[in-house]
Parts: sequence; structure tokens; C-alpha cells
Amino acid sequence: MPFLASLLTRRGAATLNWLRGWNGLTRFGAGAVVEALTPSFYNSATRSVVQKQIYFTAWQILPGYGLFAALLSFVIIQIVVSKARDFGLSDYALEMTMRVLVLELLPLITALFVALRSGAAINTEVALMNINNEIKALREAGVDPMRFEFVPRVIGGMISVVSLISFSSIVALVLAYLVVYGWQLSGFADFTRVIAKVFVPLAMFGLILKALAFGLAVTVIPISAGLNAPQKLFFAPISVLQGMVRLFFVLMIIEVASLALQYI
Amino acid sequence: MLADGAARQHLLDEHPQAAQVSVGLPLRANLSVLENICIVPQYRQNLGYEDAADQAWGLLGLLGRTDCAFKRDPDLDHEERFIAKLLRAVVLTPPIILIDRPGMLLPDTHYPPFLERTLDSLEGRFAQCWIVDYQWNEPLYAPR
Repeated sequence: MPFLASLLTRRGAATLNWLRGWNGLTRFGAGAVVEALTPSFYNSATRSVVQKQIYFTAWQILPGYGLFAALLSFVIIQIVVSKARDFGLSDYALEMTMRVLVLELLPLITALFVALRSGAAINTEVALMNINNEIKALREAGVDPMRFEFVPRVIGGMISVVSLISFSSIVALVLAYLVVYGWQLSGFADFTRVIAKVFVPLAMFGLILKALAFGLAVTVIPISAGLNAPQKLFFAPISVLQGMVRLFFVLMIIEVASLALQYI
Repeated sequence: MLADGAARQHLLDEHPQAAQVSVGLPLRANLSVLENICIVPQYRQNLGYEDAADQAWGLLGLLGRTDCAFKRDPDLDHEERFIAKLLRAVVLTPPIILIDRPGMLLPDTHYPPFLERTLDSLEGRFAQCWIVDYQWNEPLYAPR
């Protein structure tokens, strides 16, 4: 019995801790959205942090990410087009390519890429800021860290994710045209017809909503994980680990929910 | 002011309005000294970066420390770090500055004369400066 009591106590404490983490995340996310939508929130300091975040998250990686997106898109388009031809389904190849690549694969890969690169960095930085008392020091100097440090990163992260998704989608569409029709303009009318069929207003709305949700997740979750880290240096890697695992699951949940809403 | 540990904490808690310079309130590690100083007027007075940076540069110039303006915290020596924290506290001309345990901020410096020189250079930038140190450091300070 003492063993059972001890086990239940430990599991209970772990569950409460887990729930506290999600509670903190939800509160922080809601607060960040409200702040971001408040016009008086913005001043030169916050704008400067937003610009820096966009530079590091989107602009700095644009050439490398563009190349990767082009390569991945090219390979997938080739596979889809050649297999569709084998099965006599060439008419559907372009539509399938657009649906798979632009609506599903590229947004998810972009979010995972930004999560791995910027999300992990943000999580580490916020955890270290918290551990080193830098957040308290800002507060003592009369600077609201939520307004100066955290929300600008959320806004910058969201803009970056949406921009990278848009950029990679345009690259994929151009490549799809080139693979299917080659260097000629005769297929343009057909191409635009397929685009109009795939990107109906509801699908576009879903895509924009998904991109925004991805952008929100890749910044809010790492910041919240960093803020919840106990103020001891050895908790920094644990905070990053927990933040990244939580982020992975949230990104997958967003993707699965989006697929279910569209296709089921 | 000379105090033991508990009295020091009580004093800090009693004067939350004082702009503190303390080892427990570090600089933002990924910002330069200039940025650490100028975020305060940028944020509190809604100044543009250029104006806030001019103000911060002017303060660094007063102390002859413009050479450390673009350094970040890990690259600073103790005196430079102290100057950055002091100017961050001073930039909005607060009524009271509270320097908490200067011995911990300036471990390699004979700090009473250094503090006196530095604070004299910033005359008019604050109404009062309180230095909180332990009672056993009393012999370090010249009688007033």
C-alpha cells in the first residue's frame, strides 16, 4: 500500500505539473494575442524586436530554405506526375500536386523547420533570461518584458512563418507549372483553372488559419516553456526538451485537425 | 547606508521606487551596453531609437566610457558592467538611485573613490543616491 500511495502521489504531482504547464501556455498565448491586437502596444522598441525576429526567422534563412523547398517540391511533383501518368490519371496530377504540396506538406515542413531553428533558440534564450534574472531586471527598469521581449517575438514569428509558407508555395506552383507544361505559356489557362478549383475561398481561409496557428505555436510554446523553467541553470535543457516535445505535438494536432476538417 | 543582510533586504523592499543598481539585476545579455541603456527611454518615454541612443551615448560620454557602447554583457569587465547598470538606472533621471552592495558589483576595484568620481560626473542626473553596503565594510568609506 505505501508503494501504491507513493506511486499515485508521484503520478499526481507529475499530472498537476503537466496541467500547470498547459495552463501557463494557454494564459500566455491568450495574453499575447490580446496584446498583439492592441494598437497602443507598439512603440519603437517593440517594432525593433519584431524586425529582428523577422530577420532571424525568415530573411536570414530565405535562400537556403527556398532552395530546399524547390528541391523537395521538384522531387514530389516529378513523382506525382510520373506515377499519375503510369496509372492514366494525368488529368489529376496537377491538382493532386497542389493539394499535397501547397495545402499540406509545405506549411507543415515550414513550421517544423522554423520550430527546430528559431523555436529551440527562443526557448533556450527565454529560459536563460528567466534563470539569470534578466526578466526581473527589465521589470525593475520599468520595461514590461511581455511587451518588449515576448509579444514582438510572437508577432515576428507569425509573420515569418506565414511569409515562408507563402514563398515556398509560390516556388512549388511555379515548379509544378514548369514540370507539367514546360517553358511555354500555352498551359497557362488550364493551370489557372486548376488553381481556381483547388484554392477555393474555404481552402484559402483554412490555409491562412493553419499558417497563423503554426506561427503562433512555434513562438508561444517555446516562450511559455522558457518562462515556466525553474530558476536553476540545469533546468535550461529540460525546459527546451519539454518545450520542443510540446511544440511537436501541437503542430501535429493542428495538421491533423486541418486534414480532418477538410477531408472527413 | 550600512546594514546586515536582513536590514538590506528590508530597505530594498521598502523603496520599490528607487532605481536599483544590483548584482541581482543583470543586463540583457544579447543587447549591447548602448541598447541596454536606451531601451528604457524607448519604452518608458516612447522615444525613437535614434533619440534614445543619442541620450545613452551622451551619458556614456559623460563618464568617458563610449568605448564599451557596443559590447555585450559577457565581453564587459566589472567596471564597464557597473557603468552600464548605473546608466540604465540613471537614464530617466529618477529621484533615488540605490546601489546595492557595490563590492559585489566591483570586486576588483577600490570602489568608494570610484563611486564618488562616477557619481560626481553624473551630478544633476538624479536627486539622491543611496549606497547600501554591509556594516563590516564601513572602514572602506571616508567619514562624511
